[in-house]
Amino acid sequence: MRKRYSHEKKHRSGEIPTGSFSDIAFLLIIYFLVATTLVKVKTITADLPTGEKTSQPQSDKTPIVNLRGAEIFFNDRKVTMPELNDRLGALELGTQEPSKRVIMLESARGTPYENYFQALASISRHDGVVAIVEEDE
Amino acid sequence: MKKKLQSKKRRTVPVPIASMGDIAFLLIIFFMVCSEVSKDNSNIQVTLPFSEFVEKIEVPVAARVAIDENGEVYLDGVRVDGAKDVEWGVRALLTHTVSDEQRHVQFKCDASLPKETFEPVIKAIAEAGGIIEAVGDKPN
Repeated sequence: MRKRYSHEKKHRSGEIPTGSFSDIAFLLIIYFLVATTLVKVKTITADLPTGEKTSQPQSDKTPIVNLRGAEIFFNDRKVTMPELNDRLGALELGTQEPSKRVIMLESARGTPYENYFQALASISRHDGVVAIVEEDE
Repeated sequence: MKKKLQSKKRRTVPVPIASMGDIAFLLIIFFMVCSEVSKDNSNIQVTLPFSEFVEKIEVPVAARVAIDENGEVYLDGVRVDGAKDVEWGVRALLTHTVSDEQRHVQFKCDASLPKETFEPVIKAIAEAGGIIEAVGDKPN
């Protein structure tokens, strides 16, 4: 037994088999390529500029979107989401100077994010600058 | 001429495959160096809101804020206590930014959450100087 072992050992070349390295490497590449997810999420861009808080109301002409639960009001008139889009589109905010692009966004307690998001999307789409109206505490 | 053609038949063209392993490993190293570890908050359970105006995001985002269906707030995948932590975190991440392109912050929120939960976080992002990229979906 000992003899056989020593005999075998003598004939070993000691080389590391590298023949399958390229296969392993390519398999790893394929794995990475398959496992990679190139996710591009869909978003709306909303720039909410920060500034001094003021208790004074904005100019009377500043449009206001009011969300009360599932209901939407634009300048105190109840509207649907398509109507809000139309009205915001009619304002042609993109052609106005930045200070006149402000749209106030007020929401009542309990307003779901779904409605808020849609109003935000509509304002942003029509180049409006969102000013969040805070509730009195 | 015939003879010449015959000799062509015998020619063996060996494809050099000795460096294939090296090339493959170099490719792997390249992919690993260039890859960015996902901070997409994709494991956070949210029902996205719908809007026809959503578009595929084209700009890189500096931070990712998410609020799950239970109202838990996450900043870059790490749970934080509330809006104040979001403001400080985003402010810190935007410290070295020089242009508006670098100030985009991804905001993902569950569609059913009430205003009291999400509005402070939106305000916090705005206060920190971030431009909000609110994640939504297109209606079918």
